[in-house]
Amino acid sequence: MKKWQLTVGVVFVLVGFVAGGRILLAPKKTEINFQAARAQGNPAARVKIVEFIDFQCPACAYGMKYLKTFLGEHPNDVYLQVRYYPLTNMHHHAMISALYSECAARQGKFWALEDLMMPQQSQWAQLISPEPVFRAMASQVGMDTAKLNTCLVSDEARKTINDEKSLGVSLGINSTPTYFINGKMVVGAKSLEDVLKTYFPK
Amino acid sequence: MYLILRIIIGSIFLVSSLGKLLAPYQNFLYVIQAYQVLPSWGEVLAAQIFPWIELFVGVFVLLGLWTPWALRGALVLFGFFVVLLGQALLRGLPLESCGCFGEWVHLKPQTTMIMDSVSLVLTFLLLRRLSHTKKFSLDSYFDRV
Repeated sequence: MKKWQLTVGVVFVLVGFVAGGRILLAPKKTEINFQAARAQGNPAARVKIVEFIDFQCPACAYGMKYLKTFLGEHPNDVYLQVRYYPLTNMHHHAMISALYSECAARQGKFWALEDLMMPQQSQWAQLISPEPVFRAMASQVGMDTAKLNTCLVSDEARKTINDEKSLGVSLGINSTPTYFINGKMVVGAKSLEDVLKTYFPK
Repeated sequence: MYLILRIIIGSIFLVSSLGKLLAPYQNFLYVIQAYQVLPSWGEVLAAQIFPWIELFVGVFVLLGLWTPWALRGALVLFGFFVVLLGQALLRGLPLESCGCFGEWVHLKPQTTMIMDSVSLVLTFLLLRRLSHTKKFSLDSYFDRV
């Protein structure tokens, strides 16, 4: 065998290996059902966005700010839903912030709490425990404290968060924010802006 | 010792590339965007092509096939990473992880900068001592044939 022949063979094997790996590891096509409590906008909108979020992720805070402005400008054209993807190995408060958010959702206060939580992220992210801050926010938005306490210690809210994260992993997500815009995966706020401009050219 | 170094350098690229190639390319695109050096079209192109370059460089270094060229490729790549990370750190860009190994390994940019700088020096050493580097390589087999 000549050297160039082996070289070509190696290239083919590598391409085949990667192609095979991609087929085996391809994210399954999953219909993501919308959870109304964490959705905003027009359910019949032509642009449907599912965001997988970590509430301690700075890029997520920026992306959420952008999306809120965008939703305000296109209230009938966009439907947004938030799903949990806490990056617990990077962000110490990822799970607790998701828990408070899910407990707020169960009282119909998800967006009200998120309106406080995300803009103040840089402050509470540096605390050893952000719970006093979250409790103050919960009180401010009118959450029932007894129901909140029950929710925080129950397994249900945690299971919801973990199930959504598992869904995200199966879809090939490994960072936040990750969006699915009409089913197409988009990672990061910059790509989000680029893709939305194609739907809404100025 | 040179064989071990060649295996290490090749493995770095192999692991790095597979972590990116076996995941949706959008994840690596997001990493590239954080460095803020390329235009949008350049970022998409880099996200789809770069991991393949890493893969071929890594495997060819590991196998010792076209070793001088593979090592030169590795040298260019490490040099590029050092410059890329350096400019990101100097500019104070908010990089939580360097993103260098896709989703498999999370390293802080500072750690990776040190690792890449050391790897750059080691690769240069391998290139300077090619006769030693090519021991137990496919190149040495074809040189004898």
